[in-house]
Amino acid sequence: MLIKLAGGRLFDPANGRVDVTGDIWIRDGRIVADPGPGAKPDETHDLSGRIVMAGATDIHSHIAGGKLNIARMLMSEEHHAHVHPAHGLCGCGSGIATPSTLTTGYRYAEMGFTAAFEPAMLGMNARHTHLEMADIPMLDTGGYLVLGNDDFLLDLMASGAGQSAVNDYVGWMLEATQSLGIKVVNPGGINAFKFNQRKLDLDEQGPHYGLTPRDIVTTLARAVHDLGVPHPLHVHGCNLGVPGNVATTLETIQATSGLPIHMTHIQFHSYGTEGDRKFSSGAAAIAEAVNRSPLLSVDIGQVLFGQTVTASADVGTQRGTAAVGSPRKWVSMDIECEAGCGVVPFKYRDKSYVNALQWAIGLELFLLLDDPWRVFLTTDHPNGAPFTFYPELIRLLMDRDYRLSKLAEIHPDAPAHTTLGSIAREYTLADIATMTRAAPARILGLEDRGHLGVGAIGDVVVYTDQPNRAAMFEKPDLVFKNGQVIVRAGEIVSVVQGFTHTVRPGYDNLIERRLAKYFDERMGVNIDTFRIKDDEIRNGQGLVRHACNARGDGC
Amino acid sequence: MALTKNAVCPFCGLGCDDIAIERTETGITPQPTGCPQADSLFQRSASPGSGPRVGGAPASLEEAVAAAARHLAGRRAPLIAGMQTDVAGVLAALSLADRIGATVDHRHSEGLFRNLAVLQRLGWTVTTFAEVRNRADLILVVGPDPVASYPRFWERWVAPAPALLPEGSRRQVVFLGGTPEPKTIDDLGGAPETVAEGAGINDSVTALRLALDGSGTEAFVDLGRRLLTARYAVVVWAAGMFGGEASDLTVESIVRLVRTVDTTTRCSGLPLSGTDNLAGANYACVWRTGFPLRTSFAGGLLSHDPDAMSWARRLPGSDAVLWISSFRHETPAADIARAKGPVVALATPETTFDKEPDVFIPVGTPGIDHAGDVFRSDSVLALHARALIDRGLPRAADVLDRIGASLTEAPAC
Repeated sequence: MLIKLAGGRLFDPANGRVDVTGDIWIRDGRIVADPGPGAKPDETHDLSGRIVMAGATDIHSHIAGGKLNIARMLMSEEHHAHVHPAHGLCGCGSGIATPSTLTTGYRYAEMGFTAAFEPAMLGMNARHTHLEMADIPMLDTGGYLVLGNDDFLLDLMASGAGQSAVNDYVGWMLEATQSLGIKVVNPGGINAFKFNQRKLDLDEQGPHYGLTPRDIVTTLARAVHDLGVPHPLHVHGCNLGVPGNVATTLETIQATSGLPIHMTHIQFHSYGTEGDRKFSSGAAAIAEAVNRSPLLSVDIGQVLFGQTVTASADVGTQRGTAAVGSPRKWVSMDIECEAGCGVVPFKYRDKSYVNALQWAIGLELFLLLDDPWRVFLTTDHPNGAPFTFYPELIRLLMDRDYRLSKLAEIHPDAPAHTTLGSIAREYTLADIATMTRAAPARILGLEDRGHLGVGAIGDVVVYTDQPNRAAMFEKPDLVFKNGQVIVRAGEIVSVVQGFTHTVRPGYDNLIERRLAKYFDERMGVNIDTFRIKDDEIRNGQGLVRHACNARGDGC
Repeated sequence: MALTKNAVCPFCGLGCDDIAIERTETGITPQPTGCPQADSLFQRSASPGSGPRVGGAPASLEEAVAAAARHLAGRRAPLIAGMQTDVAGVLAALSLADRIGATVDHRHSEGLFRNLAVLQRLGWTVTTFAEVRNRADLILVVGPDPVASYPRFWERWVAPAPALLPEGSRRQVVFLGGTPEPKTIDDLGGAPETVAEGAGINDSVTALRLALDGSGTEAFVDLGRRLLTARYAVVVWAAGMFGGEASDLTVESIVRLVRTVDTTTRCSGLPLSGTDNLAGANYACVWRTGFPLRTSFAGGLLSHDPDAMSWARRLPGSDAVLWISSFRHETPAADIARAKGPVVALATPETTFDKEPDVFIPVGTPGIDHAGDVFRSDSVLALHARALIDRGLPRAADVLDRIGASLTEAPAC
């Protein structure tokens, strides 16, 4: 099957092409070189004047796993109010902030996304998460394994086993849980909460193990780096949401300097304590630090106004959020000596000073961070807003007049406490193509995704250039997945299944002896029961493994 | 004879994965585990005998699938229940329900919905098995001893020494209202304490909540004090074993008790409900539809009602029933016999019925005849139970997919 996408305006920053008119050829699902004058395409799409980008990738979106199911059950009012009927090829579903699996796949695809990654997979919940991700149609998926509060790691570190043993453990866990990367959530803080210590600062020693969050985050960042995992350690730092946490965030950046890390939903970690309300923007300081740290990437976790639900492994922090949740109900869980889970429905209101400032802080960060290769479009779905708000967010970034009109609507005291009104920058289409395509693929190590070069997978999106960028990005004209048209004029025309992306680094499997004993004695589960075999992923259809190039000394 | 060690048990929901299975020409037999469910349900004959039947007469699988599709197509109010199958089977059943507009429920969901009612209006604070095993210094059982439904609960999750407590700490177990069974006393190496033995569950929980402030009888005040001074207390209940006097309000009272204690020290609940992959059936339904079980797909829409859409309430008014039972050989046969419309049963070959179903298709048991994913009752861990014997029995998921594929060809009857 040979397809020709003729004469579109290509936005392909990974290959240095920005608004270059050209053809794209797809053969059997992959982009190929122009086959020459004699070639007879089976299908030709005339795209003259239209904008062509690779499929978009969401690097941080809570789309599957235990906490999502709890969130769905907790958000029962919303699910009752928003049932999506079966139509055409599409099965029914429900929900906005916590859509059901089919709906998740359809909505993402309708917006031109062809991949989304679950950023908080617990080891003991990994099989569930994979089963659920495989039930999401249209999208490539994968998960980041949560470590850093697991008793095994903390015990390993506290017992002085050393960095190489940690590396072996991390390598083993990545393989056993079929993960793509490692995430740390409130390092040590979730574990401390289980010992009834309810707060843990970056340099504070936690209970039982005597380790500081700084020890944990640097050890894990080193492990991920040494193993050659493409995606740097994905860091959800200490003190999320706490006024004044900008200091902790800056110290964390400092602590890990020299090692690549990715700091996630950084908006929630950029709060100062200035002003009458003791809540202010720390965006400028954070942006400055990020701009001068070339090994650091961030995603924002933008807040947008409306009803959503916050779901996080950071259970202690969520207990604080519960007091201001809406509707007022919440779930808190300790989970399997690994981590926890806190789920709190939340309504962000533009007339709330704090929420309005959170919104402004996120936008300040987007606009003050000068390298679109190191900043990613996220709402930390659903924590800042549902992913379906992305077109609105893109418009806020690309259209200053629109942004100012929205700034005028928020709590009257908030604009005085943000520099947002004075920032002239507007994101370009090239910036958007970088931030939502080329850069996420690069930071995750997905070499054949996020671009339109020869060898790339045939995930391609076609838009009509419209001044209203929200309308443009909400409804692409065409979406191709593996070379097949799956969306036409915003309607699903074909339901397809994606791939699951994983890594399998090398490691010394002597660690398995210690782990087997641990699983047996502590977890009450056999190590072989825990390990997810390749044939379990999408029933053996659709596992993609990405290479790791170890950077350690190999001893 | 071949021996499989560490087989995963899919039955009660505790997720035991240390079952040793002997396979001979005549079938499989478990080495005794001390669990009456595993010891009997892993006994399977190599030649279970019964093949598909249509109208009581032997039929090929193709004929049975076509007959099932005919019975289920074009119905006004079909019901897919039992749902005792692995995650793949549940997802296939949900896809079929979407096609035919059926209501779905699991046979053993009654206790689960007492819990979910509270989760949905209040939320809760809960923990999981390994946390209990390693951290809990005080375990309070509210109501009946869970051992009758979860036979190895004490042996596997409470008897081992808690690794994360200070050296020399002892784990205490207290029963509130209920009576420990002999197996529990055996597993714990002695009789656990009891408070208000034989008293009503709801009244006991209320008394304990009041006693947290120091009011009430000495036994309750003492128990309240111990909860408040424990490092990590866990309150265990099995809502499915509660009698008629205990409802979702009792569960809510337990959750409120947990939350009060948890504001100063650590305290979590451990709700037990997960027999025959109930937790997996509910979770797959939640992720696929956004709603728990007891959801209807009628008219291409979804509607959920935890009371009106229970299988017991829906069965009398349903005009067709698809009953799925792939784990054990007994069904609520008397209830199924009362169905007005045709009954299609996908069940283990050994299953017997009060009234012959219109279509019977024998299916394999996940973790015996084929690999399958089942959830542990704390809803965190999904286990992949591998096949132990090939008896030529199909997966429920495959039969359901085939019925779905036949619908397009089948004229409604």
